[in-house]
Parts: sequence; structure tokens; C-alpha cells
Amino acid sequence: MEFEAVIGLEIHVEMKTNSKMFSSGPVSFGIDPNTEVNIVDMAFPGTMPVPNKQAVINAIRVSNALHMSIDDTVIFERKNYFYSDLPKGYQITQQFRPIGREGYLTINVNGEDKKIGIERLHMEEDTCKQLHSWDFSLLDYNRAGIPLIEIVSKPEMRSGEEAAKYVEKIRSIVSFLDVSDGKMEEGSLRCDVNISLREKGTEKFGTKVEIKNLNSLANIQKAIEFEISRQSIILDFGGHIEQETRRFDEGSKETVLMRVKTDAVDYKYFTEPNIAPIKLSKEFIEGAIKTSPELAEHRLERYKSLGLNDYDSSLLLSNKETSDYFDEVNKSGANPKLIANWIIGDVQSYLNKNGISIKEFKVAPKHLGGLIKLVEANKVSNKQAREIFEHMLVEDKDPELYVKELGFVQVSDEGELLSIISELLDANPNLIADYKAGKDRVLGFFVGQIMKKTQGKANPSLTSKLLVQEIMKR
Amino acid sequence: MKTITKEILREAATKLMFKLTEEELDQLVKEFDIIVKQMELIGEIPGVDEVEPMTFPFECAVNYLREDVATKPVDRDEILKNAKDVVDGQIRLPKVVG
Repeated sequence: MEFEAVIGLEIHVEMKTNSKMFSSGPVSFGIDPNTEVNIVDMAFPGTMPVPNKQAVINAIRVSNALHMSIDDTVIFERKNYFYSDLPKGYQITQQFRPIGREGYLTINVNGEDKKIGIERLHMEEDTCKQLHSWDFSLLDYNRAGIPLIEIVSKPEMRSGEEAAKYVEKIRSIVSFLDVSDGKMEEGSLRCDVNISLREKGTEKFGTKVEIKNLNSLANIQKAIEFEISRQSIILDFGGHIEQETRRFDEGSKETVLMRVKTDAVDYKYFTEPNIAPIKLSKEFIEGAIKTSPELAEHRLERYKSLGLNDYDSSLLLSNKETSDYFDEVNKSGANPKLIANWIIGDVQSYLNKNGISIKEFKVAPKHLGGLIKLVEANKVSNKQAREIFEHMLVEDKDPELYVKELGFVQVSDEGELLSIISELLDANPNLIADYKAGKDRVLGFFVGQIMKKTQGKANPSLTSKLLVQEIMKR
Repeated sequence: MKTITKEILREAATKLMFKLTEEELDQLVKEFDIIVKQMELIGEIPGVDEVEPMTFPFECAVNYLREDVATKPVDRDEILKNAKDVVDGQIRLPKVVG
């Protein structure tokens, strides 16, 4: 039988705000356990939650980027459950009035655009981190209360590749909007997959299986592909799919059973009474959108208008930091195409060789811009520029200083060059005649002489141009 | 209206992860009997099922949002003072997953 996969994704994005969703406890990653916690995060009696303005702004910006309609009233609910990762015994979330509703994003698969519908986007708070040892669990509350947005797609994806493309797009959006660092491997972007199969051409959904906590784009794709084949085999042999939760095992590249879902858990949702409904003014929503950082797709348009081709643009836009670096260098006024070449070429190969990211790259954008401008102005040759670049990697200084230090100053002063040239021509009238008789190599001799006189500093292209011009005058 | 039986109460208690004694169950059945009767009284008001549950006694939308400024966290020793068992600055509890 031929089957069709029906795939929907739930993505949790951890925001990189300064403070938590409902408390002024600080948000930072990778610091000592339980050192970034305040009384609200710990649910001490009598503490009250107050929503974070930046988190709301972020949620509006992402909703807007996903073409969603934005609710101008913010209301939160309590999701009640009893588990050790939850200090209050409930999580504050937006069950009934998500801030964003009904949107889409466009992915490109095999050269074709496909719209994937998005059902909802809501704000909530993260739980505490549990570290499970062989016979005990440890609790670190630093993560408790970090602002999250949850984005729920419609079940409109059909393959692992489509799902991976969708997540990649979400990741690009949240990172370019400065909402999150979007790092899946560090858990700031977490993805759960819902997947079922149905006979191709039919409408009714099959029994769905949930795959939890996939930590990379590649694993999302692999897990879905494995799950499609697992379910196909069961169905082909007349079996039926259990409604269950599975996880992806990286070692075996298979999904393995975590638990069979029995009755749906009743979370007894009710309105969070400690937060009065918040009315967002039209100005507030529009302001959040208007001041929103530039998305990758808008940067792409801008790069094209700067004269960059699709390939270079997509390389620069593969992550926000590289694109930011390009934008900074571009402020120097150097030629954008040359900047792109330098970043994609020399800079990237240096980063690869040293296994570092562009964030750790030491050369200041204005210095790289300055170097490129020196090449453009014919003050140094490409070869000399590369040599200067090598020095800048060791010690980041203004390239002009290296030009002097390394003695690279080219003589580009027309007056100076002309006086050398006429002196030389005056002394060699016979060679002028030779040149005019067709002996081109005479030119090489003249250039050599000029280089000798200037200790190799004459600008080569300007020198030949002036030389020919002067010979023809005689 | 639904009557609250011992069975229902026992099931609810299990879901909430605690046990009830027979005496407690008898007591609760009696109490729920009264509550259900009172609810029936409310149920007699026409159109009552079309009313949204009320959380706030009056329209009270605000427009206050907290500026995203972090404050100094509480000292770790202080924040973990109530915990029974602390290891390496973390609260230790019996393993919660299988």
C-alpha cells in the first residue's frame, strides 16, 4: 500500500531576554546551578508573576514574521500538573488566547515553494532543569521561568526533509529577530514531532505518534524517515499503530518507545488570576513590528540590491553572525562584492582552519573594510593585501599601519610617476622606436626600470597605463 | 446532575497521587452531596450554561508590562535553605524517571 505521512511540529524557543518571563530573575546560560533564581522562580508563597515586556515584543515580532494575526489582549492560563521540574505545581502558559494565530511560512523543497500553515504561537515559562543520575535526580532552577514561545504548525508536512526545512526556517527567523540564539544542540530550540500515516489519497488521519526532544535538524529528518518506514511496515502487515511517545536514539538511528499514551492528561486549565488581562495598544504592537530586526529574507533582498549574487548572499545569510559581520564591514564603504569574497574566502577558511565561529573572529570589521579599500584604491596589490591580512590575524591593527610597517606603500602619484617615466624615455630614444616597431617586450624593460627606481612601489597598473600613454606621445 | 461517588473520589485521589481512608471518603461523599444540591439550585437559573467562567470580578484590563531588566538573584544558600537534601548546589531527590 502507498502511504502518505502527516507531520506536525511543536517547537519551543527559549528567548534570550535579560530577565525571566514573569520575574526579574536573570537569564543566562551555562552558569553555576541555582545561582540565577529569585523568589518568584522558586514559587515562594505570596510572590506574584509580572509579564516581561521584551518577551511580549519578541512574541509579536515572531508572530508577524510568520504572517499571524496578533491578539491585542494578553491573557495567561495555568496548566496544572505535579512534577518535580515545576516549582509552582503549574506552568503559566497561554492555552485559550495564544498571542499569534493562523499564519504560515514558506519552505523550498526541490526547487518548489511550499506554504506550511501555523496554527498558533504562545508565550509560556520554561521548567527547571533535571539531571538524572542512576538513582537520584538533581534540580537546577536557573532555567525555571525563562521565557519561551511555542510554535505549533498545522499537520501539513509530508516528509522528513520538509520538517527539517521548516525548523531551519523557524530557527533563522528567531535568530535574525534576536529573539533566541536558536541553538538546538544546547536546547534553546526544542522540537517535538507528531507523525501519522494514511493511505495516499485518503483524508482521514491515522493514529499519531509523538517523537520527543530532537536536538538537530539532521536528527529530525532521520527520526521522521525511520518512523515512516516503521509505521509503513506495521500497517502493511495489517497491524495497527499505538498512540505513543517515542524518542530518537542517536546510536541506532531509530526511534524507541518511551511510553504508551493512555488517557489524555487533564491539565485543569484555568485563567491565571494573578495576572490581569493586558491590553496591548495598536501603537505598541505596530511599534514592536516597526522596530523589529531585519529578517534573513529582507537581508537577501538588500544583498541583491548591493549586487551580490544568490550564492554569495545565501552563504553570508547561513547564520546571523556572518551576515552581521558583513553588514559591519559594508559600513566602511568598500565594494560589497569584494567584501563578500573576502568573508566567504579568506575569513571563512581561517575560521574553518581554527575551528572557531565568526563571533570569535578578532579582525575588526572596520579594519577588514579598510584593507579592501586599500586594494580598491590600488594602494596595495591583492597579494600584499593577503600578507597584511595574515598580520592582522596575529594582531588586529589598522591596515594602513601595516602598509607602512611592511613598506607596501605604492607610488600612485601620477606626477611622480610621470617624471620618472619621462626621464627614462629621454634616456632611451632607441627603445621607443623599438616599441613602435612592434617590440612589446620593451615595455617590460621600462616597467622594470621604474620599479627599480621606486623600490618596487610603483602601482603596476597605473605605471603601464602612463608608460604607454607617454610613449605614444613621442 | 452527576452524583459524586466513592469510586469517582478514589480515582481523583489516585490521579492526584494521594490515598484516602474509608472514613475520609464517607465524609467527602456527604460534603459533595451538599455541594451538588447547591449547584442544582444554580442550574435552575435559565441560560446559566452560556455564561463564561469569571476570573475577574469586573473588566480590569491593564497595560502594564515589566521592563526587561534583571535584578540580583537571591543568594544560593538562601534559596536552597528549605531543601532537605542539597548536593553540589542542586536539590537532590529520588530519581523521577524510570
